[in-house]
Amino acid sequence: MAEAIFSTLRETWSGYVEGLRLVIPRLLAMLTVVAAGWLIAALARAITGKVLGWLRVARLSERTGAAELLRKAELPPAERLAASTVFWLLFLGFLLAGVDALGFSTLQALRSEVGLLVPRLAGALAILVAGLVVANVVRRVVLLAAVNAGWPSASLLAGAVYLLTMTIVTAMVLDQVGLARPIVLTAFAIVVGAVMLTLAIAVGIASAPLVRRLLDERMAARARPESDGSSHL
Amino acid sequence: MSTILSDELLSELMAVGQLDVLVGLPTLNHADSVGPVVRAAHVAFNRELARERTALLNMDGGSTDGTPDIVRNASIVDRETLLASQSLRTRHRISAPYHGVPGKAAALRAVFAAADLLQARAVVVLDPEIASVTPESVAALARPALAGDADFVSPAYARHPLDGPLVTQVVRPLFRAAYGLALAEPLSGEFGCSGRFAARCLEQPTWESEDLRLAIDLWISGMATGDGLRVAEAALGPRRLTPRQRPAVAALVPQVLDALFTCLRLQETGWAAGSRAIALARSASPPPPPDPPANVDMAGYATLFREGLSALGGMLERVLRPATLEALRAAGAADRPLHVPDELWAAVMLELAAAHRHATISRDHLVRAAVPLYLGRVAWFAAELAGLEPRDADERLEALCLHFERSRGDLVALWTAPLR
Repeated sequence: MAEAIFSTLRETWSGYVEGLRLVIPRLLAMLTVVAAGWLIAALARAITGKVLGWLRVARLSERTGAAELLRKAELPPAERLAASTVFWLLFLGFLLAGVDALGFSTLQALRSEVGLLVPRLAGALAILVAGLVVANVVRRVVLLAAVNAGWPSASLLAGAVYLLTMTIVTAMVLDQVGLARPIVLTAFAIVVGAVMLTLAIAVGIASAPLVRRLLDERMAARARPESDGSSHL
Repeated sequence: MSTILSDELLSELMAVGQLDVLVGLPTLNHADSVGPVVRAAHVAFNRELARERTALLNMDGGSTDGTPDIVRNASIVDRETLLASQSLRTRHRISAPYHGVPGKAAALRAVFAAADLLQARAVVVLDPEIASVTPESVAALARPALAGDADFVSPAYARHPLDGPLVTQVVRPLFRAAYGLALAEPLSGEFGCSGRFAARCLEQPTWESEDLRLAIDLWISGMATGDGLRVAEAALGPRRLTPRQRPAVAALVPQVLDALFTCLRLQETGWAAGSRAIALARSASPPPPPDPPANVDMAGYATLFREGLSALGGMLERVLRPATLEALRAAGAADRPLHVPDELWAAVMLELAAAHRHATISRDHLVRAAVPLYLGRVAWFAAELAGLEPRDADERLEALCLHFERSRGDLVALWTAPLR
């Protein structure tokens, strides 16, 4: 009886030891990959920060209004944000490689799924950043044009254009990520179609005389800058 | 030189020989207005400048409306010419396209190069859009340089302070603050200068700058503040522009502001380092200021100011100092009459200039955001001048310019401050 217990214990422990003997080198390999990855990612972050600083990205983001958006979202400045993104993308890549080094089949499946998701996430992030910058520039341009033309509710108009641009950007981002793509596309089409149809019905059929009268009243009472600026020169 | 002037033009100029006065006329689709300008120059050649060797050089930017033909064929046989003393000199009239990127800067560069080649003692540049040009005004721009009394001659028109508020409220005061030169018309497209001045302009590397295309008229005026140059103003009487469709105020204000701020940037090593007031000789006593032009839409401008300030507040926060923006908001409070006094206007202009220099926001957006502020200032200034005699209105404008002049230290400090 005692011998059977000792035998079982011995087999179990020898199995564990054998397992540890197999796992520890892999664990060490993973740790070295992760550590090297952290170092490389940190170096890439520093280089990216320097290069973006040299390219005066901070000023560019100020000029395009992206800096303002980042401040409102309590995010770090553009060059630091970009450097951090580079760091995390690289580090995540090394982390996945490290997990791969462990050789666990379940983790490998997870790694391949995450590995497929990362490029899509990076693409979505790039679309989001570019979309934010474009939306902000478009908002400013519309706002300035509306104010200088003496149009009523210039801020409202610019805000609506911004919202529309961001709606399109959001749809593009979700499409890029591939998250519930049919639902996103259908929802987007329904929302945009509904808004346009509502506006068309409201302005074109139901309240055309009212809208015309309101616009006439508002526009007639408004000051408009002269269409010929000769007298100002 | 050969890269500025084409071979054909060079050979035409060689045939002219040495000159006393070269009149340059840059054009681009000015068929509707160039004829009287050419005739005024030729009458001046035959009457006021009859003893001088003269030539008219039209540098055309590629007109498609027949402008060069009109210049070549403009008749000078009118009553004035017949009455003029008969000149023994040959009168040359050359019309040629210029090399390089189209624009007035390239045309002026070619005129200066031609003047240098022909060793002209005086150069007069005429603006084909100014319909009020007369033979007397051509001669008035040439004579100070011919007599060796001035290197740069700027026009001074008889204008009420509310005639051309972009000049009186923006360009004149800020130019004076920066350069220390009290020119009435720094933005003018017509001027006279000596051959020495033309040669000095030609030496500048700035001709290659894309920015110069925006700011050429102001850049030329700024060049007059160079060391050892003497500046004069010629009183030319009333100014009348050829009637033609020009940009709307909302487009014109950004254009002029962009030109002014760009010019300050191009010449910053000159004006920001110096601190002297530059003497200005006047070739004749200034004409009496005329009556004010048609009423400014004060209520409309005030509304645009208030609405613009409210809508663009977020953008202006990045451009103006908090105290200045706060003062502007107080100035435009709905429950009180609009109030944009000289000190506030000077602070706004100085800070806009510095923000343009540092590109705090997109320069294009910055100059567009300034339109409502400008309209508010014009509305307030028009209200200030209401009921004043033209001479008193002139004094009121001079007080504004003096205020800007006293703010020069602030301008230099803001301009040279490290990037924000």
